[in-house]
Amino acid sequence: MKSISLYEEKGSLLNKMAPESKILYIVVALLLPVIMGSKWVSVGFIVFSACLLLISKVLRKTVPILSISGFVLLTVVIIQGIFRAGNVTPVLTVGPVSFYEEGLYFALGIVINVLNILLSFCVLILTAKPSDIVENFVRKGFSSRFGYVFISVFQIIPQMTETMSTITDAQRSRGMETEGNLLVRIKAFIPLISPVVMSSLINTKERALALEVRGFNAKNKKTFLNDEKKCGADRYVQLGMLILLAAGIVWRIAGWK
Amino acid sequence: MEMSTKHPKIIVENLKYKYLATDFLALDGISFSVEQGEFIGIIGKNDSGKSTLCQAIAGLVPNFYKGAYGGRILIDELEVKNVDLDELCKKVGIVFQNPFNQVTGSKLTVYEEIAFGLENLGIERQEMIHRIDEAMELLDIMKYKDREPFDLSGGQMQRMAIAGIIAMQPEVIVLDEPTSQLDPQGREEVYQAVQKLSKKGITIFMVEHNVEKIASYSDRVLLLDGGKLIDFDTPQRIFSREDLDTYGVEPPAFTKICRELNLKNAETGCYPVTLEEAYDLLSKEKRGM
Amino acid sequence: MSKNGKSLWSLKFNTATLVLIPAAIGINYLGKLFAGALKLPLWLDAIGTCLAAVLAGPIVGALCGAANNIIYGLTMDPISTVYALTNIAIGLVVGVLSYKGFMKNIKLSLVTAIIVGFVAVVVSTPLNMIFWGGTTGNIWGDAVYAWALAQNIPVFIASFLDEVIVDLPDKIAVILIVFGISKSLPKSLVALYQSGDTIESLDD
Repeated sequence: MKSISLYEEKGSLLNKMAPESKILYIVVALLLPVIMGSKWVSVGFIVFSACLLLISKVLRKTVPILSISGFVLLTVVIIQGIFRAGNVTPVLTVGPVSFYEEGLYFALGIVINVLNILLSFCVLILTAKPSDIVENFVRKGFSSRFGYVFISVFQIIPQMTETMSTITDAQRSRGMETEGNLLVRIKAFIPLISPVVMSSLINTKERALALEVRGFNAKNKKTFLNDEKKCGADRYVQLGMLILLAAGIVWRIAGWK
Repeated sequence: MEMSTKHPKIIVENLKYKYLATDFLALDGISFSVEQGEFIGIIGKNDSGKSTLCQAIAGLVPNFYKGAYGGRILIDELEVKNVDLDELCKKVGIVFQNPFNQVTGSKLTVYEEIAFGLENLGIERQEMIHRIDEAMELLDIMKYKDREPFDLSGGQMQRMAIAGIIAMQPEVIVLDEPTSQLDPQGREEVYQAVQKLSKKGITIFMVEHNVEKIASYSDRVLLLDGGKLIDFDTPQRIFSREDLDTYGVEPPAFTKICRELNLKNAETGCYPVTLEEAYDLLSKEKRGM
Repeated sequence: MSKNGKSLWSLKFNTATLVLIPAAIGINYLGKLFAGALKLPLWLDAIGTCLAAVLAGPIVGALCGAANNIIYGLTMDPISTVYALTNIAIGLVVGVLSYKGFMKNIKLSLVTAIIVGFVAVVVSTPLNMIFWGGTTGNIWGDAVYAWALAQNIPVFIASFLDEVIVDLPDKIAVILIVFGISKSLPKSLVALYQSGDTIESLDD
């Protein structure tokens, strides 16, 4: 079964590190540019994230993630470049439309911001197993019942996708039209989705029973079969991140005077 | 005090139960008692109360379903209704029909899946590994230990579910139609697993449509109808009842044949329920002739 | 739906309710997948959240919305994490309206749909402004945005219109589907999410 997680085990340092360190990295990568008020800080983090992903051998796996936002970014550049209020300095004219410097500059800011978010998240999601992320949170006191909710989604979605292809094939073989005009396609939606919805809701009851009889609501302290995901570098990385954040704040306050 | 078989393991007294949002009793005044290590078959038609009784023994009725409850179930003097499910599961385990829905969905390997209950109960790691290994050996699923839980076949998945329960070391195991959603091979795998559990001295309740299996495994059989206990006796007596079909139950094939041949056990006045029994009886008759 | 047992803002979740959350997220995902496969001009990715809100109340609806986007964020689209806010709002509003009886029949459901649609727009628009400069990435919506800017309409109004075009029809479709499904669910299942803690006694 294919997992929806993009995580891959490559034996890299990032694979070995605690998920919390990487989450802290995301926080710093997103906050520091805001605190310091400079897009160059974002650019710095983009480059750094890309380097981290490269040495962890997962840079190529960012492509599907970047392409989801890539299309939207393209429309942002086009629309802001042409229509943004305050556009006065044309830089490029293609036929009847002109792109303006102000709009493009604004769009560039958005692109930098989005890239920073995407790549810093990738540092976490391409190198950490979802169950390790949740398990480490549970070890630190996060509710194990809610932890279960998160982890189980990663397995439930692939199953549902499998069910979906079964149903689509079955309905097609019964002669249901899934192509054609909008009305035909809207009509096709209901019989496709309702059986899966029904069965998955009914399954929740049985799964809840099965969990309860395996101590799901036990109030004692949990134990874990697997060892905690962490390595020697974690302490230093986390400390370094906090120092960086503090330094940024100090720099900003000092700059105001 | 010495543990003796004189104290029944499980006592059910005037058990009544009504589900939420319904207006009839799913269980209606059921009383019986069971000894340690007995294998109890449960038979009856659909909606006769089989599943509800199973869930009552495991405490899910009433502690999961709420609703209205009367009477009591005692397991070693522990009143089921008053015990939290996460405590009771150390004493009573239950296995359901659909193996798929018993997979927790939060573990990536079969081995981790079986650990789920033990992690919740806070079992120390060394002990946990010991128990998981033991349960996997017993159910013959060690070879799948690194597989993804959802990648198993139905029979393998159901054995994994049973292993997850066994690892919690309950003294009583309830199996509610554990084979009804499996293919013939998967069924056979599960039947064999259940026999092993019984041999280990675990008290077993099993709902099962395959009356041949019920007849050959059970020490005693509960016959339910409309939420009432009709009879509780040896498989021979239960399957020799002339009115069995009014309760939607067919006797095993050998019983039917012996009935046609009017071949009864002279001592008990019952028809045989398994091939071995029928054979023994026939060879005795021959010798007698 | 029914009012027995559980209060609207209860923070105690039984296991059935907790297990409903991953199922609802799966349903969201499936809706999105089917809508894509059928090339519908809608997202239809909030069916599960709304269904959970109808069945188990606003808190569970909001939790579904939050968990849904955090998980999308951790798998395929990190930016969608911030739109958790929109889905939390949707879950809350549907849960409250349904409790107040606004999912009883199709007419009232339509009212719910429009309210939910506008709530989604009001929450999403500022997020669009912050992260995307106001566009949504939907061709029709962005065309309206571009047109509005060309008419010298202020950016936030343009962005609002962009989001309305995208969200309102989507939420109407979602709520009507949820209405249909919730009406056909077995009663015993519905009772599971709404049951309180009391066990009645049948002893004499």
